Amino acid sequence: MNNLSSKNRKYIYLLIIVLLYIPIMLLGMPATNESEGGNLAQLRKKYDLGESAIGNVDPSSSTMNLLLLGMRGIATNQLWLQAEHYKNTKNWAGLKSAVDSIIMLQPHYAKVWEFQGWNLAYNVSAEWDSVEDRYYWVKEGGKFLARGCKRNEKSPDMHWSVGNLHSKKIGRSDEWKFFRKFYIVDPDEDSFSKGPDPEFNPEGKDNYLVAKEWFDLANEKDKIVPQHIMIPVLFRHYPSRALLDYADTLHREGRFGKASRQGWEDGHKELTEVYGRMRIVVPPGEIMLEADSEDIKALAEEFAPPGSNEDELREYGEELARWVLKYQDVANYRYWRARSSIESEQMMMIAHKDVYEGQQLYKKGRLIQARRKLYEGLSKFVPTLNQISQRNPGLNINNLDENLTEEIILAIIYFTSTYELNGQKPPENYPLKEIVKGRPDILGRAITEFHFQNRSNN
Amino acid sequence: MTFDITDFILKDGVKHWLWVFGSVCGALLLASLLLSYVVTGMKGPGKVIKTILGGVSDLYALSLKRVFAIASLTIKEVIRKKTLVVFIVFAVLFMFGGWFLTGSTGARGDLEVKNFISFALTTTSWLILPVSLLMSCWGIPEDIKARSIHTVVTKPARRLEIVIGRILGYVVVGTGVLIIMGFAGNIWVHRQVQKSEEAQKALFCRVPLYGDMSFFDSEGKQSEGIHVGDVWDYRRYIKGATQSTALWEFEKVTSDILVNDKLKIEARFEAFRTHKGQMKEGLLCQVFLENPVTRKRVKLPVFHINEFTQNIIRINRKLKHYDEKEKKYVELDLIDDMVFDNDINKKENILRVGVRCIDPGQYIGMAQADMFIRYPDRSFDVGYSKAIVGIWLMMVLIVSMGVSASCFLKGPVATLLTFSFLLVGQGGFRQFLNEFVDKQVLGGGPVESIIRIVTHYNQVKELEEGATKMVAEVIDSGFFYFLRIAHQIIPDFSSFKMTPFVVNGFDVSWGSALAPSIAITIAYVIPCVLIGYFSLKSRELETK
Repeated sequence: MNNLSSKNRKYIYLLIIVLLYIPIMLLGMPATNESEGGNLAQLRKKYDLGESAIGNVDPSSSTMNLLLLGMRGIATNQLWLQAEHYKNTKNWAGLKSAVDSIIMLQPHYAKVWEFQGWNLAYNVSAEWDSVEDRYYWVKEGGKFLARGCKRNEKSPDMHWSVGNLHSKKIGRSDEWKFFRKFYIVDPDEDSFSKGPDPEFNPEGKDNYLVAKEWFDLANEKDKIVPQHIMIPVLFRHYPSRALLDYADTLHREGRFGKASRQGWEDGHKELTEVYGRMRIVVPPGEIMLEADSEDIKALAEEFAPPGSNEDELREYGEELARWVLKYQDVANYRYWRARSSIESEQMMMIAHKDVYEGQQLYKKGRLIQARRKLYEGLSKFVPTLNQISQRNPGLNINNLDENLTEEIILAIIYFTSTYELNGQKPPENYPLKEIVKGRPDILGRAITEFHFQNRSNN
Repeated sequence: MTFDITDFILKDGVKHWLWVFGSVCGALLLASLLLSYVVTGMKGPGKVIKTILGGVSDLYALSLKRVFAIASLTIKEVIRKKTLVVFIVFAVLFMFGGWFLTGSTGARGDLEVKNFISFALTTTSWLILPVSLLMSCWGIPEDIKARSIHTVVTKPARRLEIVIGRILGYVVVGTGVLIIMGFAGNIWVHRQVQKSEEAQKALFCRVPLYGDMSFFDSEGKQSEGIHVGDVWDYRRYIKGATQSTALWEFEKVTSDILVNDKLKIEARFEAFRTHKGQMKEGLLCQVFLENPVTRKRVKLPVFHINEFTQNIIRINRKLKHYDEKEKKYVELDLIDDMVFDNDINKKENILRVGVRCIDPGQYIGMAQADMFIRYPDRSFDVGYSKAIVGIWLMMVLIVSMGVSASCFLKGPVATLLTFSFLLVGQGGFRQFLNEFVDKQVLGGGPVESIIRIVTHYNQVKELEEGATKMVAEVIDSGFFYFLRIAHQIIPDFSSFKMTPFVVNGFDVSWGSALAPSIAITIAYVIPCVLIGYFSLKSRELETK
């Protein structure tokens, strides 16, 4: 071997250790108030990759990760399997506990938060029969995702997911009527004294207004770290869409008046003045969905190759205008602009109100009055829908949005049913009859809804 | 709630044990006689018989005084080796456990209490069992290595007394540690639940009387119940607004079971909807009592089911029943008129309870343990103490196995062997072993599996007939035979798990948990002592 004694070999080992420690120290020295630290600390600072820069620091989570050394992945996988087992065997306490342990080990893995948040709010809640219990698990999912946002402040995806849960799960699920009530007055009255759960809805606002705040935050984050969910032109339209859904839902609930009109006005303003004026990157440059000819000209001058002449600028502007039209189609922008503008008007509101009141009269068995109200409501829809078509060439009664189409078809089902229940044939002609033939997909859904509303009085 | 509610039958257990124990002893004796004859000729079998007789003599001359002396030395040794440092880990876990568990299930105190109990019992068992395993596996090998065992074996202490004394010493230490841990854990659970009134209410032990269950389909024929597509095939469903029924028969129902002249039944059903129905309300459920002898059926008031929680049905002893023949209401006595005897099955005092779903198009799911008659509740401390007894029994078994293994193996190997038994004897491993022995695992044995891997055959497709298949099956049958023996020898630790009972708010069942655990412990301690004794007796103690 060699002639070195055991003692000398140990001295050499010690020297090698010290030598190896020098580059480790230079690379990994932590930053302090006085010094910027080693290379790794400087890079971490430069690219905002530090634990505290990503979001709130949870000491217990960091401790767990350190204690597990390199076994974090194995432990997380094991916990994930355990969580799945608990879910399949309907051990809800165990599932929640396992999920909490997973995120303690993987606090910055956005997909973990999103998957398990969805799991709790959608899959677990659906396993329960009572609406109150379902709402409890929706809340749990929402709170879980909101915690994820605190730990990952830069993630636009997670902020969007929370907004999506507050808008769609609360406002569009089968149980939406109950969920929206519970959102303001929690069913657990003992704990929340007839108010909302402060952790889920701290200010007691409407779910769509809360969703709008989350979507706004998501848009803010998207400016720094790009989102990975959908094309930007759709991602950015969610705040305005939340306001439009808010106003639309007030109508679905029969809440006609100042609030609903204001809702449509606010939605229109948000759509045209905020979303419509947002810069969207397209291959030739940047566009705005609300761009008029002057805006197009200015954008062409900004993005056309330097030294372009008048004709080239005009051609460039036409190219940008084509992109505006294309993206307006993608976001259904012109429809929503026209719809929100018309919905703010008195006539449209009265049309909704008449239809709603007609349905309520039907449920009370007052068929003649119901028929009259429904007919009046359907008649009032006609001029407003014509206005939408006039303002948006190419848009007609057969390609309206699903909510409005369903409302009209449902009104027609109620209207014809007032005749059928009296043993009469419905009239040959009545307003908007043609919409039923044009949308067979929505007709089936509307019939189901009609039976549901009248069977269980929901 | 998924624990087993099948009662342990002691008679069958003892028979099976005697058969396995007798077979193994017989096989070992035969092998020893043959081996000794081959090695040393005619003198060999005589020596073997002499050793066995020596064992009988040692058993006869067993001195409790010497056993206690060795046990007391063992206790002193354990304390000297600072094994009790485990308390520090225990204290740290309990000091900070609350941080991680509180609030993990939101405002639901009733769910949170499950986590508290589970944490307290799991932590206790996870700390005490490895420590007991290490203590028991390293004691004798260390003594042999340090030659300190010579000071004992040269005294009039017999080797049987050494083995029993060692086991007793470790058990005493483990018991002391377990009592302190159990006591601290109990206080910790009580302190944690003080924060929530809901959690405090959930801290009790129900005492159930389970019945036999059967399903009947929409036409009233006996069936297995409807599967609605759940991954977990625990519950089966009955169809609403049809004759589809779930029927329970509870035995030994006498007036003693009544509390204030009322029978308390608890049900935990699950709903499955094929349409939204009345979303505001749970599905409607009809419970009825039936006496097939007098053909009387009493319908109880319908109720909306609450899922994953207790639906309590209180039945008055005096029941109102509309008699179709007499066309008037008559009064029936729950015990005198509704309880019957089944002479064919020789069952007495049976109460038959049926369940139907009222809502058309909807389904109600249930399993055997989902409906039971409730005796008066017991304190949480009673169930908790029994769960601690479960851990204690497991510890006794591990100590016995560890000491026994250390008599013929060195410390690390003894630890590995005992740990393997512990690992294979519980959870997924045990389940896999059961499935393997019952040939429920697809793909055959190891040789067949290798062939499938190499030839890219899937597990479902049968191997092609021929010499390869025949050879594989012959070799695999040898493996299966070995596994069947291992299955009989490796203890089933699943019945020692009493935590699920307490976590789910039940008293630990004597029939399905405590009795089998005690029986298994005794059944394994006896052969462990014998193996330890004969191994130590035949071991050359000069070898380190």
